[in-house]
This record gives sequence, C-alpha cells and structure tokens, in this order.
Amino acid sequence: MISLPQRETKLMVAVHGWSGILLGLLLYAVVVTGAAAVFASEIGIWSAGHVGSRSAFAQPMAEAVRRAGEETPAKYREAVDLFEIGDHELGAYFHHHETDAEGNLIARGIFYAFGPGGEIRERREGTDEDVYGARNDNALEHFLVDTHVRLHVPDPWGLLLTGILGLAMLVAAISGLLIHRHLFKDIFTLRRGAKPVLFNRDRHSVAGTWSLPFAFVLAFTGSFFSFYGTVGVPIVAMAAFGGDVEALTEAVYGTPGKPDPRPETALGLDRAMAHAIQRAGDVPTFAAIENFGRADAKLTTYHAPAGGGLAPVSLVYDATDGTFLQDKPLIGPTPSAGGTLAGIMSPLHFGNFAGMLSKAVWFGLGFAMSYVIYTGLRLWLARREAGSRSLEWLERGVVVVGFGLPLALLACAGAFFLSMPAGTALFWVPAGFLMVSALAIGLGAAWRDVAGLAGALELALGVVMLALPPLRLITGGPGWTTALEAGQVIIPALDLALLLAAGWLLWRVFGRLGQRRSAQEHPVLQAAE
Amino acid sequence: MARRWIRIAFAGPGAVIIAVVIMAGMALWLPGGAAGIDNLVLPLVLAPLIWAALFFHACLDRSTARVAAVALVLLAIHGGLVAHKFLQPQPAAETTP
Repeated sequence: MISLPQRETKLMVAVHGWSGILLGLLLYAVVVTGAAAVFASEIGIWSAGHVGSRSAFAQPMAEAVRRAGEETPAKYREAVDLFEIGDHELGAYFHHHETDAEGNLIARGIFYAFGPGGEIRERREGTDEDVYGARNDNALEHFLVDTHVRLHVPDPWGLLLTGILGLAMLVAAISGLLIHRHLFKDIFTLRRGAKPVLFNRDRHSVAGTWSLPFAFVLAFTGSFFSFYGTVGVPIVAMAAFGGDVEALTEAVYGTPGKPDPRPETALGLDRAMAHAIQRAGDVPTFAAIENFGRADAKLTTYHAPAGGGLAPVSLVYDATDGTFLQDKPLIGPTPSAGGTLAGIMSPLHFGNFAGMLSKAVWFGLGFAMSYVIYTGLRLWLARREAGSRSLEWLERGVVVVGFGLPLALLACAGAFFLSMPAGTALFWVPAGFLMVSALAIGLGAAWRDVAGLAGALELALGVVMLALPPLRLITGGPGWTTALEAGQVIIPALDLALLLAAGWLLWRVFGRLGQRRSAQEHPVLQAAE
Repeated sequence: MARRWIRIAFAGPGAVIIAVVIMAGMALWLPGGAAGIDNLVLPLVLAPLIWAALFFHACLDRSTARVAAVALVLLAIHGGLVAHKFLQPQPAAETTP
C-alpha cells in the first residue's frame, strides 16, 4: 500500500478535495453525458426510430459513388469519405484539404446522400464542419455528444475546457489513490449505522475505489482527445515540420505509395467492401478513398476492434479493382509502439472494443464515476456545513446540477420526439434543455429545504423516464413489434431500460415518503427505535 | 512562504509550460520506430501523463530546490532542442539560387 507521510497525505487530501470542488460540477456534466454518450449511436437509432439493420456498406455502392464522382469538380476528388447517415443510408463526401483564414486545416467539398436505390437524394457543398454537424434526425445524439466533448463552448475553448477537466479528474484519481491508506479494506467498508457524514464518506470511498482504474483511464484518454488537435498537433507540427500541420497529418495517417495520376474509375469498391466485411468480421464504421478517379486510388476501411483485440482494424485496397493491399494500423503505415498506443486510446475511452458488453460496462463505470463526483461534492460540503451556513447555496447548486442535468437531458429527448416530425429538432432540443435547466434552477432557488429539493427532482426524473417510451410511440416512433420484426432490438431495449430506471427511481422516492409519513404518525415509536 | 509560492508556480503554470515544451522537444529526440512516427505520436499521447508527473512531483517532493532543478533541466534540454532545430540553416532547395 502507498503510505505517504502525514504532511504529504494532508496535502493530497487538499488537492483531491479542491480538484473536485473547483471543477466538480462541470466535470460531473462531462462524465454524465459521457456515460450516456457510450450509447450515442444506439440513442440515435432509438430516438429517430431507425429500424433498418442492414448496413449501407453491405450493399452495392460502387455505381452510386462513380456517378457522384462524375458530377463532382476534379478539385474535390482528392479524397472521399464514405459513411452511414439516417437509417443505414450511404453518405459520400468528396473533398480536398485547405487552410482557412484562421490557419486551421479544414476539408471543403460536396456531400451526397444516397437513397436506398443508390439515387442521389441530397447534394450539398460545404466544409467538414457543415457535413458532420447536427441534422434534424440526429439532433439528440449530436447534442449529447457535443455536451460531452465541448460543453457547447466554441472551439478551441470548449475542447480546452474539457481537457482541463480531464486533467482535474486525473489529479483527483491519482490523489485519491495516494490518500487511501487501506485501499483493500476501503473497498468493502460501508458502515450503514454510522453518522451521515461517515456513511457518505464510505459510499464515496467504496464507489471511488472500485472505479479508480477506470477514472484514471478515462481522464487520461479524455484529456488526450481534448488536447490532441488543439495543442498537441500544432506544437509537434511546429517542432518537427516547421508548423506544417498537413505534413504531420500525411506522415501519421497517409498511405504511402508511388503517385500515378492517370485517370481510372474506382470500380473495385463493392469487391473490396465484401472482402473487408469478411476479413474484419464486421461492416466498417467508416471508409475513405484517396485520389478518387486516379490509377493510384486507394480505399481504406475502418472497423471496430475485433477478435478480442483492443486496437481498431483498418484494411487498405486498390480502389480501381478492389485488390486487397494490406492490414494497416490506424496510425502509421506499419505497426509500431506509438501507433498502437494511439490506436487504443479511442476504444479505451469509448468502450467499444467488445461490442455491447464492453459498452454496458463502460456505461456502468461512467455512472459510478458520476456518483463518486456527486457524493464527493456532498461530502466536501457536509464536512464544512457546521462551520459555514453560507455554503448552503453551493449545496443547492450541487443538487440542482446533480439531478437537474439528467432531467434536462431527458427533456431533450422529449423535445426531440415532439419536434423531429416537423423538422425543427435542431432548435427544440437545445431549447428544451435550456427550459428544463431554468426550471430546475428556479426550483433550486425557491424550494425550502435541500432534501426536499433533491426528492422533487428525483421524482421528476422518474416521471420523465416513464413518459418517454409512450411519447416516442405517440409521436410516430416504431412499436416493439415493428422494430423486432425488422431485427432492431435497440429500440425495445432502450424503452425497457428507461422504464426499469423510472420504476427504481419512483420506488426510492415513494419509499422515502412512506417512511416519513410513518415517522410522523408514530413519532414516539420511531424515537424509541 | 517563498518556498510555498515556488512550489505553487512549478505545480501550476510551470507544469503546463514545461509539459508543452517537453512535448515539442520529445518529437526531436525520440526514435521514429518501425513506422517512423513514434517520435510524432508518443509526445501527443503522453502529454497528460507528463503534466501529471510534473504536477505531483512539485507537490510531493520535500526539496523545493530539487523540484525547481528537475523542472528547469527538462525545460532547458527540450527548449534547447527546439531552439537548435529553428536555428539550423534552411534546406538548400529553399535558399535563393
């Protein structure tokens, strides 16, 4: 066990407490939305009512992409991103890279959305930000991920803020480990009969100790993602390439090969996709073509980790005839220590390395981390309660954020169901969040006691959770039979999860109410007990 | 009291600045590895841990002098490497014929 001298232990306790109290509420927001964002794509399917279960990558696409390529100006054929949009439909973004007025490397080009028969359904010119931004049918999923990634603060400040929060969590995790004198004993110590402060300390300690390695991994990988593009890449590009970010990107992600600019049609996409699905054991999550329309065109398919591995898989093909060329690491042309380490950062952060099972574990541990942050804040306040009544506003703030944030996020789902059919979800999802947040803040200011406020918000959480599945159905979402007949289990699974969570919350709230009523009816009996 | 502020300076802004300079300098001395990219990727991946190491060293080392010495030596080595890179003559292709 780590045994620090008393002076250093006291310092670490202070560092642990202050790292949490200064940024704890923002950190809580990032961790809660991060836990939910583990299931972001499933939430997208559930909310938009997508029942399709056959990937666009498993269907012929070469002809559709070829036709789109023919009507695209040559300057935008430098690269093509292929990805799924809507209900497993194909999206293709023909683009080139350029530097914007502020010196940032961006992509600019033409985005095509294809219908189920391969016909061009939508054609739009824009930058990567326009193409990968929120749409009406993914407004909820996008809002959730954007809250987690940058707290809706504009770039680069939002990413810097979440990066700093990641570092604060790293400090809290390491200092939390250092201040545990009896780590293994603390894992199992929960004194139910002890004073509230001690009991709360035990709850925080037990949940924190169990999730300590996870907190470290999440904080490390999260701060890596936040600082990667905002600070890391410009600094390393400055040192190694005199500030040329494009040269660094090409060195790290590029597929080396002899240039061959002769015109050639990319006819091998379907053959390559079929081979990639067979070789990787699953459809790609994303695919990209370099030098579209040239003899040296290459297709790279990106797949989630497979076969019990941690590193994502990517495969390279000759796009002109679909010949398999190589298994390529995600980063770098050949396997290397740095490439592997950078490659596993994403599965470690998103928990998508073993399908639904690892995602469920990551969600559970994310939920535990949210609980640790919430109980840690309450504990810090409880220890100071006797000394200062002026901290009550902070305690109210913790309760409002602790219960109000999940409530506002659930309200976003309600706003999405009501507004998506009219095509106004991009406005109403954030508006719903702000309205319910304002309501929670108002309740926080007006409610007489903090315990009652927590109970009221918990009750509201349960009621909204209970209301969401029927609201989804009323607003035109597919029923369980329709979803199951189409092979889509995500929709009934999420409905069930919400109903179970609602039942648990309401059982807790009404259980406490029952206890209080019983105590009022039999005060003498309670006192004697 | 002064020692306390030195410690705070090295744990706070000092750790951030030195971590950034180390990240830049590491790209110049780390080997490229099998794929020739380790020197570019490892500094990016390790940056949060480098910052954490500097932060906890500044907090926990009883000797303030050692805290300052370790941080400043790392700063000097990596800052020197970056400065040396920028002071090197430009490649021949970019010079005026």
